[in-house]
Amino acid sequence: MLNFKNETTRSGVSCLRRAVLGAAAVAALAVGTMGGTFAAAAQDYPTKPVRIIVPFGPGGLADISMRLAGEQLTQILGQQFVVENHPGAGGVAAANQLLKSDPDGHTLVVMSNGTTIAMSLFNDLGYDPQTQFAPISTLAWFDLGLFASPSGDYATIGDFIAKAKAEPGQLNIGTVNPGSTQNLAAEYFRSATDIKVNIVAYRTSPDILAALIRGEIDLVVESPTAFAAAIKNDQAKMLAVTGAVRNPSHPDVPTTSEAGVEGYEVSGWNALYTLAGTPDDVIAKLNKAITEVAAMPEIQAKFAELGTTAKALSPEEMATQFENDRAHWAKIIESAGIEKR
Amino acid sequence: MDTLTNLGLGFQAALSFENLLFCLFGVSLGTFVGVLPGIGALATISMCLPLTFYLAPMPAMIMLAGIFYGAQYGSSTASILLNLPGSAPAAITCLDGYPMAQQGRAGVALFLTTIASFVGGSFSIILMIGFAPILASFAISFSSADYFSIMILALVAASTLSNGSFIKGIAMVGVGLLLGMVGTDISSGVARYTFGTVEISDGISLIALAMGLFGVSEILSNLMHGEHAVVDARAITFKSLIPTRQDMREFWPAAGRGSVIGAIVGMLPGTGPTIATFMSYSAEKRLSKNPEKFGKGAIEGISSPEAANNSSVQAAFIPTLTLGIPGDAIMAVMLGGMLIHGITPGPQLIVDNPVLFWGVIASFWLGNIFLLILNIPLIGVWVRLLTVPYHVLYPAMLFFICIGVYSVNNSTFDVLLTLMFGVIGFGMMRFNFPAAPLLLGFVLGPLLEENFRRALVLSHGDLGVFVSRPVSLVFLVLTLIILLASVPQIRGGLTRLIRGRDAINE
Repeated sequence: MLNFKNETTRSGVSCLRRAVLGAAAVAALAVGTMGGTFAAAAQDYPTKPVRIIVPFGPGGLADISMRLAGEQLTQILGQQFVVENHPGAGGVAAANQLLKSDPDGHTLVVMSNGTTIAMSLFNDLGYDPQTQFAPISTLAWFDLGLFASPSGDYATIGDFIAKAKAEPGQLNIGTVNPGSTQNLAAEYFRSATDIKVNIVAYRTSPDILAALIRGEIDLVVESPTAFAAAIKNDQAKMLAVTGAVRNPSHPDVPTTSEAGVEGYEVSGWNALYTLAGTPDDVIAKLNKAITEVAAMPEIQAKFAELGTTAKALSPEEMATQFENDRAHWAKIIESAGIEKR
Repeated sequence: MDTLTNLGLGFQAALSFENLLFCLFGVSLGTFVGVLPGIGALATISMCLPLTFYLAPMPAMIMLAGIFYGAQYGSSTASILLNLPGSAPAAITCLDGYPMAQQGRAGVALFLTTIASFVGGSFSIILMIGFAPILASFAISFSSADYFSIMILALVAASTLSNGSFIKGIAMVGVGLLLGMVGTDISSGVARYTFGTVEISDGISLIALAMGLFGVSEILSNLMHGEHAVVDARAITFKSLIPTRQDMREFWPAAGRGSVIGAIVGMLPGTGPTIATFMSYSAEKRLSKNPEKFGKGAIEGISSPEAANNSSVQAAFIPTLTLGIPGDAIMAVMLGGMLIHGITPGPQLIVDNPVLFWGVIASFWLGNIFLLILNIPLIGVWVRLLTVPYHVLYPAMLFFICIGVYSVNNSTFDVLLTLMFGVIGFGMMRFNFPAAPLLLGFVLGPLLEENFRRALVLSHGDLGVFVSRPVSLVFLVLTLIILLASVPQIRGGLTRLIRGRDAINE
């Protein structure tokens, strides 16, 4: 398990988006001035249990990390933080739960970098996270791994690229469903290295592992967390990690840049968002609490065990991160020639 | 010998008081949620997962596994008594189990399904003890092309699922395939037939479909027909549970075949017990000398699928425990439960932690014995359910169906969908359109398409891959034989051929 899928969410990047962004800035100003009126309310926040809507089923990486953090937030803020799973429609089901709530900070939703991909992948996401939602902070950061069979021909990423260049169109890369971070990371890898390979989609990460074992695919792009057991069992060998720095749990494995794929980097995150229009000081209070949680040695250790890094951002940094990632994936989707759905 | 020593070690561990207690708790809870329509093992295991954080790994695993296979024992109870399946795989048990209940043989049916469950479960456990690593490697070697050919065989075999018109049966398979296409396509990521609705963009919920077509439609049809005669409780004696000699003669071979089919289907990742039960039912009907008695209370029609059901869920542990590759969502949650405890299932587990590995396997068999002891006395209690007037029973059942369906995805839309399928199912019942082929088409459709397309991607578009792989070829040939055997002239020839050979043997 921990078959974390960076679910894609449907996206509505309408041509209106930029205009709307401008409007959002105005709205944010308005909220800022209104904040004063609500100051008393924010001091009391939270006045009732807070729901954290997780767009994945129970047991996954996002679910477990949010439950761990939720316990700590309950301690700090004095109200229950309850995780609710609303899987489905690649995050839209969860987003709808938030849209139905009041902008008072008592309903939070987990957004992932998958949402930034979805914004460029879908013609109509049904909501716009950049204008309708307000960022609070990231919580967990993770990288992906490039895996090959331990008994196979590839000792390094360079070996794989050389073989792919020698036999164009013959090698296969396995990932989970199209539109996932893993799948797009494979597309990005294909264009960054200028190789001709097939990208084969599987339903779950165990399916991919089985395909790797029977030699159906040559390379896998998957999270080190999902493949942790496979590494331990010597069923898969991690050739490189996609983060900017090495993965602390696998210090011997080079980053993709170190392994010779200059500039290739993929990092994922899970973040908490709430409804736009929530008073700024409520968001500030939540951000402060999450920053505190992310810095706890206990949380740091537990997250490391799960294969992720606990790290918070300010709401402004979060908004920038989201926009940077969105632009980054939009470029990859365009250059890979992936059709919008 | 090594295996026996290890197994002894396993039993030693599983027989500790704590482990026995959690095993008993797991299987009891499993039986209970199994009986309730809709509420399934997945929802229960997910809910119990946080509890296991506070347990040692072994009792945690034993309890979660107990819920899973315990639920399979209970799932046929309501199928037989009320024509309401406790879970999707048990829908097939309605076909012959409910007619048996109507003939006053509910006790016999419940007794035989319990024994069949035990036989099926034990069969796979023995396989697991003897050959787990070999079987797991075998199961993993099945490629997309092989899966496709197995699904084709299952689909063709399904044409016998119904008693009525052949055309209606095939049409319902087609409707099932179409319903299975609803949702996001795995190969391209495109949402199909969702009409922009978010709720079905991941496809129609199997539980909603099964509970609607088999459960709600039955309730509606009873409302139409008014109150049924209530069974007199005094008529249910212990003697009425005892099957006849003839029953047992029909039971054993069917349970044996069901166990084998269940084990094969169960150990393949991604298939699941619904395919196992439906395949074993169609196999029985194909092999039977009097296929006309199916649907009217055939012993084989309940024994084989029940054995297949339990055999398949036990076999599902084979790739999970020995390779760390879970075949379905339930196995994935269980695997997650082990990872949380720092245990990595896979080839290393048997070497690093033999006590845990063999202890859990030993607990399966102890759990199956518990279930046998638990379920046989319960039969008398369950049969008394029939004495409850329908106006009390059915609102309660509807309530459990709604809760069960909701619990899968926390989605109220799924509850509405169930009710909608209930109305559709009611209409199908009125006009004699069978629901079983539809359900099988629905389950097989997405698997069929996904594997077909992936096989072609991997073979660079070469269709030859389906005949060049031996496993795939065998299943395609079997499919062809079934198809040809359906042609009357050829069937006559085959029969003559077999008769002739028998004559020579004599």
